[in-house]
Amino acid sequence: MKLLTHNLLSSHVRGVGPRGFPLRLQATEVRISPVEFNPDFVARMIPKLHLVEVPKEPIQGYEHDERFLRQMHHVLLEVDVLEGTLQCPESGRLFPISRGIPNMLLSDEETET
Amino acid sequence: IGCDHSQNLVDICREKHYQAFVCDALAVPIRSGSCDACISIAVIHHFATAERRVAALQELVRLLRPGGKALIYVWAMEQEYNKKKSKYLRENRISQGKKEEISSDTSVQELLVKQMPDVGNQDSAPSVPSINDFQDRGCNSREVTNFKLPIHTNRTSFHCQDVLVPWHLKENPGKGKPIEPFGPLGSHDPGPVFHRYYHVFCEGEMEAACQTLSNISILQSYYDQGNWCVILQKV
Repeated sequence: MKLLTHNLLSSHVRGVGPRGFPLRLQATEVRISPVEFNPDFVARMIPKLHLVEVPKEPIQGYEHDERFLRQMHHVLLEVDVLEGTLQCPESGRLFPISRGIPNMLLSDEETET
Repeated sequence: IGCDHSQNLVDICREKHYQAFVCDALAVPIRSGSCDACISIAVIHHFATAERRVAALQELVRLLRPGGKALIYVWAMEQEYNKKKSKYLRENRISQGKKEEISSDTSVQELLVKQMPDVGNQDSAPSVPSINDFQDRGCNSREVTNFKLPIHTNRTSFHCQDVLVPWHLKENPGKGKPIEPFGPLGSHDPGPVFHRYYHVFCEGEMEAACQTLSNISILQSYYDQGNWCVILQKV
């Protein structure tokens, strides 16, 4: 699971709603793998991210700042969580990550209607 | 990013280096409004009630940002359209002469499906449908306590919208994965047969289901190789 994916995931436990984000990540096995750098893709993903910590000075013209884009590329796309857990911040429910795949299935009682 | 209820199918995505996770299409764990586009290919026809099919559409639309688009493909009841047979029908290995003989005596085998309260969602592909979700729908739309579903004969036309389609798991010495989902009719396959539930859609039915949602507009609606397809946009 890449960190870009993690940023899009949200807990769907019943009653949790928008408080289900972000899922707390505990990684027990991580792999760094190179991914081809696509600055346009990274630039387009950045506004989609829900960043909990926002820099004090907003980065103007980040789309053209190659160093910044490369850093974001590395963090979002080259870090792969192979084993670990995701935890709903509101309910505490744990979702396993195994072989790089998060399993977000809920039981019937937990599902939002 | 892809997702599916089946761990095994998601594993295959992972092997091909795609990002994917396991989830229920009725409860997709992705932030609302975060997707520019979504695709739902051969998914919604596995839900056993009209309510759940609409709920799946609602989830899909929830994920879209305003202006985002979704592409939906579901299996069509009409496997022959505009006088052309779909690939599904054309790839029937039985010769034309024998086909009539087989469909007349075996096309309506019925599988008794009882209400079983504690059948949970099963993981793995292919999987037994959630039996406790069936309502009293069938070819006749009568109220029945023991609900019967016909078992479809592969590579033939559909006679009923709610069917179980046989899926032959072939033993492949190399991988243990199935070679093809539809084994040749009448062959003696040693592997197990799974019955997968489908609600095949009639012309206009998917469009009508989409139109129950107030926040979308349908951009395109068409037929493609035995599938009804819709492209919609979130307003």
